Amino acid sequence: MVWKIWRHPSDWLWFRFDDRLLLITFGAIVGIFSGLAAVALNRSLLAMAEMFAQVRISWWAFIVPGIGAALSSLFLERVVREGAGHGVPEVVYSVSRHGGLLRLRSAFSRLISSSLTIGSGGSAGPEAPVVMSGAAIGSNVARFFSLNERQRIAMVGCGTAGALSAIFNAPISGLVFTIEIIVGEWSAANIVPIAVASVAGAQVSRLLQGNQIAFTHLKFDVGMPAIFAAIGLAVITAAVSILLTRFLITSHRVAHRAPLPVWARAAVGGCMVGLVGYLFPQVLGEGYHTIQNMVEGAFPEGLWLMAMLVLAKMVATSFTLGWGGSGGIFAPCLVIGSFTGLMYHRFIVAIWPNLDWVGEGCFALLGMAGLISGILQAPMTGIFLIVEITGGYETILPLILVSAISTTVCHMFEPASYYFRELVEKGQYLRPRTDARVLADISIGELVERDCTTVTPSMRLGDIVAVIQKSHRNFFPVIDPASGRLLGMIHLDDIRPYLFDPLLYETVFLEQVMETDVETVEVDDELSEVLDRMDANRLFSMPVVSSNRFVGMISKATLLDKYRNELMLQTTH
Amino acid sequence: MEMQMLHVFRNTPHGRETLLQTAYFCKSAGISPVVYIPGHLKFLMYFDNDVVQVDLNPSYLRSPATARDHAADVFADLGLPPPKFIVPKHFTASALPDIPVDFDFMTCPHSISDLSARIGPGYVGPRVRRILQSARFPVLIPSAVYKPFNRIAVLFGDPANAVRAFRLGVRLGRLMEMPVTLFTRENRHGKTDYEGLLAKKGLSVDLEQSVTEWHVLPDHDFEDNLYRVPHDALVVLGAAGHGLIRSLLFGSIMEKIQTVLPNSLLIVGQNYRSV
Repeated sequence: MVWKIWRHPSDWLWFRFDDRLLLITFGAIVGIFSGLAAVALNRSLLAMAEMFAQVRISWWAFIVPGIGAALSSLFLERVVREGAGHGVPEVVYSVSRHGGLLRLRSAFSRLISSSLTIGSGGSAGPEAPVVMSGAAIGSNVARFFSLNERQRIAMVGCGTAGALSAIFNAPISGLVFTIEIIVGEWSAANIVPIAVASVAGAQVSRLLQGNQIAFTHLKFDVGMPAIFAAIGLAVITAAVSILLTRFLITSHRVAHRAPLPVWARAAVGGCMVGLVGYLFPQVLGEGYHTIQNMVEGAFPEGLWLMAMLVLAKMVATSFTLGWGGSGGIFAPCLVIGSFTGLMYHRFIVAIWPNLDWVGEGCFALLGMAGLISGILQAPMTGIFLIVEITGGYETILPLILVSAISTTVCHMFEPASYYFRELVEKGQYLRPRTDARVLADISIGELVERDCTTVTPSMRLGDIVAVIQKSHRNFFPVIDPASGRLLGMIHLDDIRPYLFDPLLYETVFLEQVMETDVETVEVDDELSEVLDRMDANRLFSMPVVSSNRFVGMISKATLLDKYRNELMLQTTH
Repeated sequence: MEMQMLHVFRNTPHGRETLLQTAYFCKSAGISPVVYIPGHLKFLMYFDNDVVQVDLNPSYLRSPATARDHAADVFADLGLPPPKFIVPKHFTASALPDIPVDFDFMTCPHSISDLSARIGPGYVGPRVRRILQSARFPVLIPSAVYKPFNRIAVLFGDPANAVRAFRLGVRLGRLMEMPVTLFTRENRHGKTDYEGLLAKKGLSVDLEQSVTEWHVLPDHDFEDNLYRVPHDALVVLGAAGHGLIRSLLFGSIMEKIQTVLPNSLLIVGQNYRSV
């Protein structure tokens, strides 16, 4: 009994008072655990980096990322049996289609696999794995305490925010990313618990790792030339974002065609990264140290070498993530963005050497914001992340400009962001309170009208006159009495000319006048597809069949009623 | 809406036996079979408050070219039309399909993740347990070899599940036109307690009309007395919903019954919602 009460906190007197108290309390708990997961990943990455520091100078070091990626893939495929992928689309899919249900194993699987990939030198970031981990923690806490679907989605958001704010020590970015990317809904009911979780996650990180910002705060005096130059940088970062997205997609497709086991593919990809890293060591790992040098203006490489580094990092990231390594796109975006920003700065300084330019570190920051905003098509995340990880607001004006323009330009060429592309293609990107989401939440089974009068093909025309007199419908499914199969449909309009000729009543059989080419719906069809077919064929109702047997009818009128109810249900919470 | 039963088909002789049991069950109750021929070694089932990943034994992927025909042949042998084959529409990851869960029944072997030869009596795999805990539908655990049943035996034990199992047993008895026998374990609750429980739930009429016999088995040698359960009965019982750890520590009645009885078992989970 006590166990049952304990597992159902929604019934506790205190929480029955206000649902938000429950969400805030559990949001804080989820935020703490997600923060711990993020700290664990951070520590393991540091340990791995120390472990491989000596190995990296050996001539055979290029195989290390290959071994790491292969182990990571084997761990995901054979040990935890969880398909590869960086995780964020899975979380969004779960929130979109299944009320945020995630497997418990996801709470730790990506932490281990990504530390193997990134720690061995793979070009990826720790953010997506902690997002997956945090989201799974939130989902399973909600499941354990029997929270409802809406509350569970909020907990998934709390886990995401807690993890992301802990890994970057950036609570606002955690909140904004969660709302923009994961939950997709700016409502007070979500924002409050997610904000609390974000604070909890960041605080855990500060307690265990100290209150450090990722990159040293430097003061930049941003003048008019820099503001104008930022517009050009935004366009360039957008172009680089589009290029990186296409690199990743192509790499993924090529890898899938390779006749190799999944772990071998990851090993090949990892070795390729190792080879690239042999020439350009800056592209290995998450690359925060390289970014730090660039922000501080301590990165001496010239313009052409910078361009090569941009390309090399894109290739390394594509080989890591596209070929089966585990990790996120955030950190590579930050590195490529800062390379791009620095390259752009050196280019404009070379053209207009007499202008009063701000320090090149500022352009590295703007480049990072441009890449993040372009790839994720989430401008707010790009802006707040850069502000928080650098600890200063001096660059806020060009940051907003670069993020906004980069997102817009990217959206023109890539309608869906890197995270959502596949989901959009499969029709599984369903945001709250949208038409697609409402339709996805209604099944054909809920709409079937069973009060239909069926007729048989051997009935005479005179028989159906009696049926019509008693019925309020103007269509009658023709059913095989032995098997229940739908054979055709009698529409009142089609037989109306014969109804006024009593001579035909005994001579015409229904099988002679029924329509046999009938569009049917299966019980498990997607409602959105059924509606498209109704529109294309100008139909207002269609028969529903299961294994060819007639089940009932579905009509637009019933759908409208149900749609309104579902919409009200989704918008009143 | 017609009732549907999900069966995950294994294209092996063992798999044929379980499919035959499903086909017989469907034929007896007038249920439409829905067969899933796996194309991947794992799939997900999203229930109301849980997501269960079912990791299949590799034998489930054997001979995919013949699987559909073999499945259809099994149904044809019992004079049934070919079943409906489901193809997953949604994928959580590229090799991780989502299988729908809106069925009325599901067939699961004792363990879905282990090779049949390794499954001993009295073992219910962790995936099957999770499905039982989360599903709204009852799960048929077929006997090792196909055997038609001619009666329904309801194990009317733990009051928490007794009513659910009773309702299902009576419902199936009517659908299949088979006699229903109750078996009660006499422990701290006696026959009169159970009669009171049924009366409280408004099931006295069902008890009178549908149940032909009621046996009360002594608690001290319960397992020995299970011999009285007819060999040709489909055994309906409720699962308490304990997790694997609790069952390992304290034992599971379900597994004890499964160890002793070779019959097909129809198990009602805690989330079963009777129609």
